[in-house]
Amino acid sequence: MQKLKMPPQITRLAIVAVAIVVSYFGARFFLVPKSFGKYGWYRADTLKEYAALPISYGGAKACEECHSDEVAAKAKGGHKLISCESCHGPLSAHAADPTTVSPGKITNLRFCVRCHESNMSLPEKFPQVKVEEHAGKSNCVECHLGHQPKEQPKKKESKPAS
Amino acid sequence: MKSSSPTTRRRWLTVLGQAVVGLVAVKAARPVKAAVQNALATAPAPKSYDPFAHSWRMCIDVEKCIGCGLCVEACKKENHVIPKAAYFRTWIERYIIKRGEPGSEDPRGETIVDSPNGGHDGFPPSTIPREEVLKSFFVPKLCNQCENSPCDQACPVGATFRTPDGAVIIDKTYCIGCGFCIQACPYGCRYLDPNTHMADKCTLCYHRLSRGLKTACVEVCPTGARILGDMKDSRPDNPIRQFVEKNKVQVIKPHLGTEPRVLYAGLDKEVR
Repeated sequence: MQKLKMPPQITRLAIVAVAIVVSYFGARFFLVPKSFGKYGWYRADTLKEYAALPISYGGAKACEECHSDEVAAKAKGGHKLISCESCHGPLSAHAADPTTVSPGKITNLRFCVRCHESNMSLPEKFPQVKVEEHAGKSNCVECHLGHQPKEQPKKKESKPAS
Repeated sequence: MKSSSPTTRRRWLTVLGQAVVGLVAVKAARPVKAAVQNALATAPAPKSYDPFAHSWRMCIDVEKCIGCGLCVEACKKENHVIPKAAYFRTWIERYIIKRGEPGSEDPRGETIVDSPNGGHDGFPPSTIPREEVLKSFFVPKLCNQCENSPCDQACPVGATFRTPDGAVIIDKTYCIGCGFCIQACPYGCRYLDPNTHMADKCTLCYHRLSRGLKTACVEVCPTGARILGDMKDSRPDNPIRQFVEKNKVQVIKPHLGTEPRVLYAGLDKEVR
């Protein structure tokens, strides 16, 4: 009986096919990132990279660890829902290292105007004033405590309430 | 030799004892320090954060927004967004709806929308006289973190994707800066960062959520117009669930079928 012999062109084709398949899996092995496909059709480590980014705003809980008295005072007034960092700015660096990093003071004494200047776009019930009529040239903190806006500062003699 | 040996031994034992106590104290101090650091917000991201255990959602009450712009400012500071106009991950729009022309059947007239510097510095009083205005309100905007996100589908290299906990983020190692996603987003929430030449967008403060903090915009919002919560948190006092149960909520451009994860209460029909 005649022995079956593989034609040489088929052998060459088979070699090329195997080479293609091997190079495909080889490329996949080296090029596809480790965490790819763990959660879905993307690199799962991206989530960890985003999660590891540094924060600037430390959150109200961090403030309360040391400044519980100020937080308690604020809770009595109309500003109770406002987070400390809304007005004082991002302070996670201060929370991490309170001794060397000190928070800046609010230097703009008309800071309140940002929210409370009268504007037709504001919700009607929101407390708002025309600041030029309401305060003239005086600063807000002369008559209002920042943490308890209905209260007056103790030191100075108070102006008649408007 | 004999007389000195007890004192030497005693001294050695004392030193050894102190060393043991010291070592134990150091060992005990480490977990305590770690616990303290974990309790503080400045701790690194917890490794235990499981993206499958959360489903984040933001709700915005338009009626409460006062347009102070603290959220815009906080977002820029927290995420180091380019401090120029036109680069915003969140911004505020002021809608002014004029009264209809005298004699027209529609009491609502022209709608005017403005957003000076994205609302970053608050809003100056409008130049439109009060008598002509029917109503006016502020609408805070940000990436809607769509369930069915067009940007995710437009990306040719698969750099943008939805996380299991409901944020749409960009893998910066894949992004080629082609800008297709920027064109695909119907809400205009993306921009091309001129420094990195890559697309950039709101990440729903992923680095804060994974640390157990609120997003920067929610943290600083003075009126509680923005709230953020976990829909997988089944406690009855979960504010986000209460908000969704209590209010009539709506999304922006519902006809596009993008299924945004940012819900609005009190939206008017003019808001786009």
